[in-house]
Amino acid sequence: MAELDPLIHAPARLQLVTSLSAVSEAEFSTVRDALDVSDSVMSKHVSALTDAGYLHIRKGSRAGRRTTWIGLTPAGRKALRDHVAALRRLIDVVD
Amino acid sequence: MWKVARILSDMESTAPLQDPDEARSLLSVADEAPRRLAAGLRLPTGLHPVLGIAVALQIATAAYGIAQQTAAGLAVLLAGLAVFLLVAAVGLHRFRRINGVRVDGLASHVLLGSGATASVTYLAALAAATWAAFESVWWVVAVAAVVGGAGYAFGAHQWWRAYRHDPAAHASGVSPRMLASLAVLACLGLAVLLVVG
Repeated sequence: MAELDPLIHAPARLQLVTSLSAVSEAEFSTVRDALDVSDSVMSKHVSALTDAGYLHIRKGSRAGRRTTWIGLTPAGRKALRDHVAALRRLIDVVD
Repeated sequence: MWKVARILSDMESTAPLQDPDEARSLLSVADEAPRRLAAGLRLPTGLHPVLGIAVALQIATAAYGIAQQTAAGLAVLLAGLAVFLLVAAVGLHRFRRINGVRVDGLASHVLLGSGATASVTYLAALAAATWAAFESVWWVVAVAAVVGGAGYAFGAHQWWRAYRHDPAAHASGVSPRMLASLAVLACLGLAVLLVVG
């Protein structure tokens, strides 16, 4: 039975991961703006989730400037599914 | 300063859940975040009409090319296919540039017409147009092509609405690597047809 995942339990991390579940890949700045967080906070979360194997990072370019693209790995998608299932189960147990 | 520290602390909190209300609040976050991101995405202006016209042109040229069974007919068929691929590729590139995201589900529906409406309409229209081209009933070719193009565009429109409603469920699709593999296979198939023909 899946447990709550401490790596994506924090609201900001959960928002980041669920936002990325809506796309195949997104530019770092697009997600940062959607979550309304600073570059440094976003970088910290992305680094932690990348180290855990939940995100992949790719360098690209757009209009002549370098950009960073991020996306969920299969492990990240599974972790999100399991975490959401664990949250639902917790609510069901109490209800 | 204490306020910033508090916000950062909240963001990284991994304390165990104390009550189901907190779990409900987190589930609400999980539901809302992808919808908010998807709500901010915009399709390139005129993507669906232009796609419909490109597909109609591709169906008409394919029907003509197949019915003619000549080198000139094959050239017309390939030209129609090239126009469609160009329109689809430009549309997807513009989507990425405008929004800063890549959605493989969109590529699947724009390039491959992978939805039921698009694929059924396209195949029926191509079959009807090809039959009509063999019979030299050109107005039927035109009507079938227009219906096929409209059905294809409508299928892409349906997918977009479904995606906006539940982005996580509709985001996945054929990856760029798989699309490239399919393109290589298609080229090989055409080459075989040319050699055999």
